[in-house]
Amino acid sequence: MIHRRRMLQGSAVGFGHLALTAMLHADAARANDVKRPEAPPKYHFPPRAKRIIFLFMKGGPSHVDTFDYKPKLQADDGKDLPFDKPSVQFAATGKLLASPWKFEPYGENGIMVSTLFPNVARCVDDICFLHSVHGTNAAHGGALLKLHTGSDNFVRPSMGAWVHYGLGTDNENLPGFITICPTLAHGGVKNWGSAFLPAKHQGVPLGVASKPSTEANVKFIHNPRWTPAQQRLQLDLVNQINRQHLTDHPVEPSLEARIASLELAFRMQADMPEAQDLSQETEETKQLYGLDVKETEDFGRQCLLARRFAERGVRFIQVTHSDTNVQWDQHGDLKNGHEKNAKEVDKPIAGLLTDLKRRGLLDDTLVMWGGEFGRTPVAQGTNGRDHNPEGFTMWLAGGGVRGGFRYGATDEYGYYAVENKMHIHDLHATMLHLLGLDHLKLTYRHAGRDFRLTDVAGNVHKEIMA
Amino acid sequence: MFQPSTIRVTSASKSFRFSGVRFLAGLLTLLVVNDRVANRCLAADDAKLQADLQFFEAKIRPLLIEKCVDCHGPEKQESDLRLDKYAGMLSGGVSGPAIVPGKADESLMIAAIHYKDAALQMPPDGKLADAEIELLKDWVNRGAPHPEASDTAPSVAPRRTPIDLEEARKFWAFRSVTRPAIPVVKDDEWVQTPIDAFILATLESQGLRPNRPADKVTLIRRMSYDMTGLPPSPEEVAEFLADDSPGAIARLVDRLLESKEYGEHWGRHWLDIARYADSNGLDENVAHGNAWRYRDYVVRSLNQDKPLDRFIIEQIAGDLLAKQELASAGVPTDADPSTVAVSPEVADLRIATGFLTLGPKVLAEADKVKMRMDIIDEQIDTIGKAFLGMTLGCARCHDHKFDPISTADYYAMAGILGSTQTMETFKTVAKWHENPIASEELLASRASHQKRIDAQKAKIDARFAAAVAVLRAEQAATKAAEAKAAADAAKDAADKAAAAQQAADKAAAEAAKVNGAANPQAANDALGNPQAAAPQEAPVANQQTAQAAAAAPPQEKPEELEAKFPEAVRNELKGLRDELAALDKAMPPLPTAMGVKDESEITDQKIHVRGSHLTLGASVPRGVPVVLTPGEPIAMPPASSGRLELAKWLVSPDNPLTPRVLVNRVWRWHFGRGLVPSVDNFGLLGEAPTHPELLEWLASELPRSGWSLKSLHRLILLSSTYQMSSEPNEASVAIDQDNRYWWRADIRRLEAESIRDGLLAASGRLDRSMGGSMLHVGNHEFIFNHTSKDETNYDTTRRSLYLPVIRNNLYDGFTLFDYSTADVVNGDRQTSTVAPQALFMLNSEIVLSSAEALADRLLREEAADDQQRIERLYAMTLSRYPETEESTAVLDFLAKFQAEQPAPPTPAAAPSAEVTLAEVAPDTPTPAASQPGQGSAPAVDGTAKDAAAPRAPVDPRREAWVAICQGLLISNEFYYLH
Repeated sequence: MIHRRRMLQGSAVGFGHLALTAMLHADAARANDVKRPEAPPKYHFPPRAKRIIFLFMKGGPSHVDTFDYKPKLQADDGKDLPFDKPSVQFAATGKLLASPWKFEPYGENGIMVSTLFPNVARCVDDICFLHSVHGTNAAHGGALLKLHTGSDNFVRPSMGAWVHYGLGTDNENLPGFITICPTLAHGGVKNWGSAFLPAKHQGVPLGVASKPSTEANVKFIHNPRWTPAQQRLQLDLVNQINRQHLTDHPVEPSLEARIASLELAFRMQADMPEAQDLSQETEETKQLYGLDVKETEDFGRQCLLARRFAERGVRFIQVTHSDTNVQWDQHGDLKNGHEKNAKEVDKPIAGLLTDLKRRGLLDDTLVMWGGEFGRTPVAQGTNGRDHNPEGFTMWLAGGGVRGGFRYGATDEYGYYAVENKMHIHDLHATMLHLLGLDHLKLTYRHAGRDFRLTDVAGNVHKEIMA
Repeated sequence: MFQPSTIRVTSASKSFRFSGVRFLAGLLTLLVVNDRVANRCLAADDAKLQADLQFFEAKIRPLLIEKCVDCHGPEKQESDLRLDKYAGMLSGGVSGPAIVPGKADESLMIAAIHYKDAALQMPPDGKLADAEIELLKDWVNRGAPHPEASDTAPSVAPRRTPIDLEEARKFWAFRSVTRPAIPVVKDDEWVQTPIDAFILATLESQGLRPNRPADKVTLIRRMSYDMTGLPPSPEEVAEFLADDSPGAIARLVDRLLESKEYGEHWGRHWLDIARYADSNGLDENVAHGNAWRYRDYVVRSLNQDKPLDRFIIEQIAGDLLAKQELASAGVPTDADPSTVAVSPEVADLRIATGFLTLGPKVLAEADKVKMRMDIIDEQIDTIGKAFLGMTLGCARCHDHKFDPISTADYYAMAGILGSTQTMETFKTVAKWHENPIASEELLASRASHQKRIDAQKAKIDARFAAAVAVLRAEQAATKAAEAKAAADAAKDAADKAAAAQQAADKAAAEAAKVNGAANPQAANDALGNPQAAAPQEAPVANQQTAQAAAAAPPQEKPEELEAKFPEAVRNELKGLRDELAALDKAMPPLPTAMGVKDESEITDQKIHVRGSHLTLGASVPRGVPVVLTPGEPIAMPPASSGRLELAKWLVSPDNPLTPRVLVNRVWRWHFGRGLVPSVDNFGLLGEAPTHPELLEWLASELPRSGWSLKSLHRLILLSSTYQMSSEPNEASVAIDQDNRYWWRADIRRLEAESIRDGLLAASGRLDRSMGGSMLHVGNHEFIFNHTSKDETNYDTTRRSLYLPVIRNNLYDGFTLFDYSTADVVNGDRQTSTVAPQALFMLNSEIVLSSAEALADRLLREEAADDQQRIERLYAMTLSRYPETEESTAVLDFLAKFQAEQPAPPTPAAAPSAEVTLAEVAPDTPTPAASQPGQGSAPAVDGTAKDAAAPRAPVDPRREAWVAICQGLLISNEFYYLH
């Protein structure tokens, strides 16, 4: 029975991932191990979300300056932290540093948001804040890998690859896992890689963080030499040659699969530019995402692209806010750095949430926001904050989570997660659960054992579900 | 002390075979089922099961998680029991199975929760509520429905008892290598090498007949790609076809084995095992600036047919062999290694240990002890998989769940690697150690260069001294005159100062008047140039001079002295110093290679309980896994790490795994799959050999042949088994569709490197030069820093072997075509077929530029007509001539394509994402929708540079030939080997 279902599932996959092949290609089946499931299992329970948009804030935004309001921190500015700092720290830090921003209550439940995020603040009734997220690594590289792959020291598949492995895609002509303008640093492709999962599950990058989102394209999607008509002619010739070749080698599924893959690629050349064609959007929509303003134009385009991919059946879409400087990594000059960053993302994110909602997409799209860690409530230098993986805030919206809800808490200064602690593994387990996948059962046999996104840990936090 | 005494290991039976039936069933269902159906939850006919599973998820799982799993789950397994997994419940703990599905009365778990037996009461901190007990009882009586119950979970249950070594040693992979007799077969004509007897014996027993030999064109393509990674040239094909003599194939094999490209191609296979990379990847992607030396060492070693036992010893302990060689040559052991010249052979010994250093490391790990243990873990994992086919890394936190490897075994090896220095510093960003490998010539040239530097310095000193002497003489001559002049000057200056002060006061008063208020700034401004104050200093300076002149010899600094030299002398000195700086810069660098050495302190490791360095257990003597050393433990030297002992043991007759793993790897690389299909895993969860006797025979043959890899190649290449055709045979397909028994050759896609090298070779552009580094950044420098700026550059026509292997950002043509990720041992690359590969073949610059180069070559060559050109093209790409209908198709295309030329390019109209191909259906050409680029040669590099450069005027005929050439280069026949 399992075999049959896996076989069926194999047809549910597209780009990155020609359905036929893994199944048909004998090579793929003889693998390192006894069992190597080539197609993923079904849903383990009814999904609340069908897809994910992950808004990744590279560098580590400060939770105590954005969404985790700490009156005590404001009161004790300049005093010593009254408890121990972690035994392993990234850098030396000093005394408590009050947030330079004011917080105000928003939404039905009066959720406190700082003035850094005035637009997102108006969406709090759709947002579920996770204030007790914690990781294990205080360096960017380790923390990015932990967040994206669940492991900071081993090479493991990324969460998008796991999701794609579990659920496939709804649109064969587009990649099932897209990462827009990803960072090449701190793990680089490992953060969207498939590791030991079959290659078809890896993310397809559009552009890189160091380039504007106007240049975000799938590699090799465009032919610089032939017109579409010429290429069609050429492909017809290739098909003719390949079919002739096939008559000499019947019962070779790999040969047929390759013929099909050329046609699929040809179709993708049409569908991908269509998905990215923002000229189809109204001015009102573009403004909603801030495409008309210099500061928000770049990230706004990424968010709008994310919505268009979501509409078209892409399973996992990551959007990265990064730049060619230090991103959200304000070891110093917290005020200017965070103000610049927040300005760039606030309106586009609010625009995305609003747009998804009015299109009815927010119900089954899980939006996830966060960085690789938060920042310390104590100062680094005079006006900066160090990395803090001990407790920080991420938030979810849509996709079956409780809106207007705050879950978990850090201590009174925001250093450690103390209440309803949510480890990165828990976040992953919960994310998979929302997608209808049991993190204990989404496994892949490799090197002699079953691997999971959550390794041997992870608890689903059902309290956050609507 | 860690010799477990208790007994029992669950024996294994394997159940996962890739079955032809499943294969066909999948093929059929694919045709009729769409994805949405597959994505749905359970179908209606599974309603009861669904209800049962919902009951489990709603009632039972939460109860288990809340009450049981803390102690019997992933974190802790009290009494070896796990209740978070179905398999764990069934196999149970030390007391036996926890549940018997359908029989609550016989289930230990139910007994325990009833608190009936004082010795078995669970949970220990309080009896469950009656309702909860009833729920669990009900669930077990329902048959214990569990989502994992239907899974094809491993039939091998995790071991629950201490390792029984005697029992464990009975497992096929751990038994001593035997020498099976060569089987007697009916059709002994077919037997060319002993391999054939083993293969044929199985075929005959299965009622299968081997295919006929492949035709010679197929054979030379297969052998050329297999042995060199490159296609045969048309001339090589012609020569082989013309040679009808009996030894033709053997001569071809000899030529291929003697070619330098052999070492490049088979060396690349080994680099997959060595997880070779030119950058660290992982968290901080810094350059392995000297990794290429290891790569070139591997190529050299294979081309020399270095015995594989020696090859392995060198990679684990080459530095220690080098030490021995130097000691026997009389080099003092305490000599600074950077001053000791080494021969190329000794340098290679040091380079070889780069094997241990090449792994990915978390270089910014804040916890330094953890970083060190993580690096050791990576080394153990690599050694285990590469040579033993064992997943030793599993035993870092707990005894291996399946294989007879204990944490003590793990930390015995960790002691060896912990006594080995891999890192130079753990300080962020951490740096690995490198060993000096300077040759005599290089040290000599450094010494002679140093002499030039010293000479230049002496020259500068001499010139300086001479200038000082002149200065002194002048000073002496003018001493008296100076003294007088100084006195005069002092008076004069004092007068000037007084006058200046007067002027200033006056100006300040004027300014105050003008502004109506006192304005000190204006007053200062009125003083004008601040140098107005200079005269005040003058007398002082001159007085000093006067004093100095009158006093003892001056104690001036050199630069003060030099300031007084005449300008010409100063310029001369500057020139000399510039020359010195240039000389310094030109000093030949001291070459180093990634690699290890022994730590000064040799220590055993303590067991890290649950893998954490914060919870240390008992110390374990250094050593190798006990299950593999049935005799005495390997003696570990007190004064060195034990790596040499480990290395020698790996290739000793005592260890049966290394030869088995090695011959199986070689078989895999030749045939596309191993005799043991799980090539990197020979443990209980690996797969059993399909031809155990053949594997044994080859494993026994390897040491007999002096561990000669080339001998092994000959055994294989000259066998009938290898030389069979790949054509299907109805009768054989019916019995063995998957070709498990090798009744034919498999059709195989080219590997990533051969796709690229094949394109370059066919288009006549391949640069065959060997060795060296192609990295564009220095050692330890960032390939990527946080800016994501991409410093990689793959724009070259050299063989793929020499493209930098940048972890986290491999060359697209590698990533797409299933290259090793270069992170872990990978002896069995996958073969995927995905659409992005097709995009690469259709649109990448390397394919387009190869097509263009090939077309230009064709059009340049003398040919009677297009028919002859087509024949030549087929010879250059597919090593054969076209059939008539093939030529006709190409000729038709030539005409049609020339008619389908685009409109003249409009200025500045770059191809953009707006181009739509949606309307273009097969065989219905539509007008051009975008500006095509034509004419100019794109870069070799495969990265997408979508913006087309301005193009030369289009030659429609040339364009059509380029399109034809690309068509053949992306055809299946070019892309697959038969």
